[in-house]
Amino acid sequence: MKKCGHFKDLILTDYIDGRLDKNAVAALESHLLECSDCSAFFKEVKNTAVSPFHRALQQPPPAGLWEAVKQAVEQEEQPGFGENFINGLKGWMVFPRLVPVAATLVLMLLAGGVSLTTLQADRAQEKADAAYLVSLFNAGGGASSSDNTSLGTPIEKYFL
Amino acid sequence: MDIAQDILIRASRGEAQAFEEVYKATSGFVYNVALRIVNNREDALEVAQEVFLIVHDKLKTFRFESSFKTWVYRITANTAINFAKKNSRLKSVPFEESLMEPPAENEALTQMDQEYHNRLVEKLLGELNCEQRACVVLRDIQGLSYEEMAQALNININTVRSRLKRAREKLLSLKQSVDYEKVRTF
Repeated sequence: MKKCGHFKDLILTDYIDGRLDKNAVAALESHLLECSDCSAFFKEVKNTAVSPFHRALQQPPPAGLWEAVKQAVEQEEQPGFGENFINGLKGWMVFPRLVPVAATLVLMLLAGGVSLTTLQADRAQEKADAAYLVSLFNAGGGASSSDNTSLGTPIEKYFL
Repeated sequence: MDIAQDILIRASRGEAQAFEEVYKATSGFVYNVALRIVNNREDALEVAQEVFLIVHDKLKTFRFESSFKTWVYRITANTAINFAKKNSRLKSVPFEESLMEPPAENEALTQMDQEYHNRLVEKLLGELNCEQRACVVLRDIQGLSYEEMAQALNININTVRSRLKRAREKLLSLKQSVDYEKVRTF
């Protein structure tokens, strides 16, 4: 019977758990009075699927549980290597303005070092070029060892 | 289980004594829910320990917008269900062994009856899947409302209703194997 199916669904949940409103309870209980099948079903649900759990004994937590929890919490609170490293980084982040300042200083030092090296290299190169040109001039004739007099050339004026 | 808000705040700041108060107020139901969902004392101990570690860690994020009790139920149910799913080593005992042996008459009846009843509950829960078991435990053993169950299990009320219905139908189908007359005498 369709009606019975509907009532059985209610018996399995809302009725047995006390969630039906007064009108719904009245309709269902009126049906139970006239339907022996649903009435038997209700008793069966109550006795076999609900009551055994209502009478279930609450077990006390084992004595060692608190000690185990306390120990685990203490262990968790001791930082490991990875956590130390992260905490160290976090410590740096406490002074967030220092980080860009330090980075700028490092960059400036690096840039300064590179410029100085380049300047020194340029000067050394200039000297080398000059020496090379002088040697060319000396080797190119007119530059005998006894001829130290000026030839009046512009290159001579520049180097000598 | 009522815990003053200041205790929760102190516990969330790492005060050991306050956390012990939280433990004392919640360990009973945490252990029992864990025990009934994983259906095994050894595993329940492990789950309960994990639950309290999570509570300790997450307490600082608890906003007091929902009930603390429901929050702990939620952590417990989730942890226990996940544990049961991962391990799926519920030590199921056949009915023939566990429930077809009524207490011997020459022994202390009350204690034997209780033991028998406890084995019956274990066996019945062992026949349900994790989600159904959690629903039955929260509703019929812990007495939570559908609304509290929905929050604790993060499901809607219709799903609560549906899981309870399926669980109870399954339990009805086992009735041939169980000596309920014996159980009813308690």
